[in-house]
Formats: sequence, C-alpha cells, structure tokens
Amino acid sequence: MTVLEEKIPPATARPAPRPAARLLPLLAGAAALALLAAAPYLVTVSAILSLEQVAAFAVFAVAANLLIGQAGLVSFGQGVFFGLGAYTVTLGWEHAGLSFWEGFALAPVLGAAAAALIGLVALRARTLYFALITLAFSQLFYQLVEQNTGFTGGANGVFAPVVPAWMESPVEGYLTLLGIAVAALLALWWLYRSDFGLLLRASRENRARVQALGTNVYRLHLLAFTVSGAFCSLAGAMFVVYNQGSNAELFDWTTSGQAVLMSVIGGMYTFAGPVVGAFVYQFGHDWLVRYVSDWQLVLGGVLLLVVILRPDGLAGALRRPGRLRLSGRLELPSRLRGRK
Amino acid sequence: MNTFVTETVSILTNAAMLFVVAAGLTLVFGALRLINMAHGSLFMVGALTVASLASGLTGGWGFAVALIAAVGLCAALGAGIEISILRRLHDREPLAQLLATFALVLVAADLAQRVWGTSDRTVATPVAGRFSVGGAVVPEYDLIVIGIAAAVALGLWLLLARTATGWRVRAAVEDPETLSVGGTNLALLRTSVFALGAGLAGLAGAAIAPLESVGPGLDTQIIVAAFIVTVVGGLGSVVGAALGAVVIATVEGLGTLWVPSYASSAGYLVMILVLAVRPWGLFGTPDR
Repeated sequence: MTVLEEKIPPATARPAPRPAARLLPLLAGAAALALLAAAPYLVTVSAILSLEQVAAFAVFAVAANLLIGQAGLVSFGQGVFFGLGAYTVTLGWEHAGLSFWEGFALAPVLGAAAAALIGLVALRARTLYFALITLAFSQLFYQLVEQNTGFTGGANGVFAPVVPAWMESPVEGYLTLLGIAVAALLALWWLYRSDFGLLLRASRENRARVQALGTNVYRLHLLAFTVSGAFCSLAGAMFVVYNQGSNAELFDWTTSGQAVLMSVIGGMYTFAGPVVGAFVYQFGHDWLVRYVSDWQLVLGGVLLLVVILRPDGLAGALRRPGRLRLSGRLELPSRLRGRK
Repeated sequence: MNTFVTETVSILTNAAMLFVVAAGLTLVFGALRLINMAHGSLFMVGALTVASLASGLTGGWGFAVALIAAVGLCAALGAGIEISILRRLHDREPLAQLLATFALVLVAADLAQRVWGTSDRTVATPVAGRFSVGGAVVPEYDLIVIGIAAAVALGLWLLLARTATGWRVRAAVEDPETLSVGGTNLALLRTSVFALGAGLAGLAGAAIAPLESVGPGLDTQIIVAAFIVTVVGGLGSVVGAALGAVVIATVEGLGTLWVPSYASSAGYLVMILVLAVRPWGLFGTPDR
C-alpha cells in the first residue's frame, strides 16, 4: 500500500461540512482581520512596528511554505528573493529613479524571473541536495551584494527616504502593509486550494506516482518555485516599509532559515501555520529580549521541542480540539477520488 | 617560484582544514543519512576550547594536549546530541533531522557566547618555526595542519575499507535490518559514528585556531564551506570530500590572487555548476 493510499480517507469518512462549519473560518478570519485593523489604535508604537514586520514575514513564510509544507521542497534559499524584493525597491529608487510603488510592482516580477532561473538549476537536485544548493544560492547572492559596494552599498546596505512620506507614520504604514498582506495571503490561499496546490501535496506524498499519472513533476515544482519566489520578493518589498531600506543580511541563509522556522513552529502542513509562526516568532522575540539575552537559545529550544514532539506545529496543536478549516491540515481531499 | 610555493602551501593548508571538517560531515551522512548543520558549531567549540586552554598550555606539547581535549569534548558532545535528540528522529523524514540540527546551531551559538563571550581571540602558533623551500618561507605549522589531514584521510580509509567496523558503517545504510539481525548494535554504531564526526569537527576547529581569529560567527561561516565541499564531492564519500576540499581551496586561493573581490563567491559558483551537471556531486550516488 503506498503512502498516497493511506492518506486518502475513504469517501464516506468525512461528511460534507454543515453550512455553519463553512461559515466558522470565515467568521474567525473576519474577526482576526477586524482586530488587526483596530490594533494600531490599541497598542504601543513599538508593537505596531512589530506588526509591520509580522505582515511582511507572514507573506514570506506562507510563500516559503508553499515549497516546504506543500511540495516537500525544503529551501534554505528563499532569502534570495526576499532580499531581491527589498533591493528592487531601494536600488530602483537610487539608480533608476523609480518611485516606491513602481519598485514595489517590479519586485514580484523580478522575484519570479530570478526564481525561474535558479529553480531551473536547483530543482535538478533532490531533498537534502536541494536544501544545500538553495543555501549556496543564498550565500552567493549575499556575497555578490556585499562585494559590489558601488552598486548595492555593500555591507551597509541602502537606507534612503524611498518610502512615501505618508507611509512613514507607523499607523498608515502598518495598515497599508496589512492590506497588501491580506491580498497576498488570499491569492496564496486560492493557490493552496486549487488543483495546483493539490498536485503539489500529491507530489510531496508520492512523487513517482504523480509523475506516472502524467504530470511533469520537475515543471510542477519549477512553477511552484517561481510563484514562491514572486511572493517572497513581494514580502521583501513590504519589509522595506518597516526597515526603511535594505541590507545585505536579507540574502543570508539565516533569513531563509527564519521562513523555515516560522513555518515549522507555526505548522507547515497548514495554510495559517506560517502566519501563526510569524506572530509567535516576532512577539516571542520582542517579549523575551526584555528578560533574557539568549533569544536564539530559546528559539532553538522551542524549534527542537516542536520538531521532536509536534511535527505539525502550533497550528496542528490548535486544530486538535475543533475543526477550524483555516488551520486544518490541507489533506488530499476526498474529492480527488472523483477526478482524473 | 616564490609565490608559487607560498600559494601552493597556503592552498593545501586550507584544503587540509576543509577536508577534516568535511570528512566528519560526510562520514555522518554516510552512516546516518542526516546532514548535521551543527557540525560548524562543534568546529567552533573545538577552536574556542583550544583558545581558552592556550594561555595555560603553551608550546608544542601544551597545544597537543589542548587539541586532544578539544577533540574529546566535541566527541562527547556529539555522542550526547545523538543519544538525546537525533536517535528519537532517526525514523523521521530528513527534514526533521535537518531542522533539529538547525535548532542546535541556534542553541550552540548562544551557549558559546555565554561560556566564551563575544570577543574574538587569537591563539599563538604552537610551532613558530619556518623553513624555506625554493626560496619561499613556509611556516612549519602549515605542514602540521596538512599532516593532520593526511593522517585523518589515512585513518578513515583504514577504518572504512579495512576493518569490520567500517564494513558495518557502510552496511548501516544499505541494509540496517540484516545488520541488526546479525548482532550489530546499530544504536551504538550510529552514536559512535556521530561522535567520531563531531570529534573531527573539533579537531579541525582546534587545528585552525592558531591560524585565524576565533570567535562567534565561526560556526555559520565554516558550515557553509563544509557544505560546499561535501556537496561538490558527493555526500557520504570521503574521497569526494578530499577532492572537493582541494577543488574549493584551489578555486578560492586562485580567486584571491586574480579576482580578490569575487573570491568568496567562487566556491558557491563551483558548487552550483557541479550540481547542475551532477546533482548528486562528483562521488555521490544518485538520490532515491
């Protein structure tokens, strides 16, 4: 019996959700959104700035998790696209005279193009080799950006008044980022739920079988890598609003590692997991650094516990009591059985 | 001629150090099928151990004692990590093990800062002598580093190719069940191999301490270099690690001479090129 067969529940195992159950995630989502929109009027300025970061990191983590959790491709190189997005905005402003929004629109396009080219090479490698080759790309970009001081500003990065003045106030900046994040996450949610997302999950569970059924898995993964690159790049452009600039560390593999961390801690088999992860990561950091200097120690410890005890992360743990669809594991649904 | 000899010795020294780090990493992969991201952290612990002992233990013999202490400490840490954490994850997908060792990188970085502080340290060269070859002056210590790498290479070859233990290490991946039925204590075997790999990381760190400044950040710096070397050579292959070390050290050495500002990128480019052509590395086996 193959893995795929084991994972598909019998057609009768899951009754059609009642209308109320369908409404619940919508209501929960709307309530969360209302709370997030009201947040800047309720919390301190430093918390608003943290929320700005969370908005960018949530998009970054969900986009990275499209590869990690959905396709089973562990990339330690998504920082490349995050950095590329940030630098598109800042360098576009500095060298090409692009406005913030022009650079912002260009970022996902360049991210997709770069991801398509990198994916072409990186996806030839499998599993651990893939993780390491993406890591190598991350470091390559980091070195190139740091060395080309004349063009990129080197280790100092580019810090310039690129963000429109009205967005520099935390409340406006945050609300704009929140709007963009919601739009990006809705687009990603639609992707997760589409046949494309379904195929990605199938390729994670049993690559050979998906290939045998007539899908070119290499091309499928290349498409996923490209889409992920575009959204990671968008997240990088969002990050500029918080950061007021771009620095070489954004390309470093530890930035890529952050996306992996958020996905895993939040729950990589769920859509909302990485968003939860981004919140926990950021506010856990903000809260802990007040009391202890060893933030990484705690982070590593938490990651270790999650990996050993709860491989499905916090969202997986949340899911146990109820059946919140938004945080439910995106299993191969039974409708697959009726198709193809 | 002068510069040729100087450059060759410096490239070989660099290759020797890279080989010892990469050998440990590749050995662990060969027997446990896991990539230890914390390998660089163990390297750093080795270097820092020597740095903190160096003030008390001076001279050639003092350094040798510090070196042995560093290797012992790292091997013990490795055994502890394998028993307490990695053993629980052995049957899980490779991602779980990768993430667990990534978590250890974070933990180790902060713990090392607690123990050794944040400032960089330097270690006096234990053997200050120099001699000249073809008009070039070569530090004796460089030859000692190369000698250590040669000894490690020989030792690993003897262990893996000429002993029953080496045969079991290779079989541990191919057919663990038969091996287990045959009376081999697999758990002990895995722990020993991991401890040996960790000890090699410590050895490399200890040996490099007199040549570089030792401090935080050494861990992530070396682990990326070790990844490049092992991946170019092929994961699991000690011969590949040796070849990879020489290739990367040569590329970086020549890069420093010819295009100084891009030398650090050269290694990554080589890795990407090799993997584009042979996605499993030069001496690796294709993924299943």
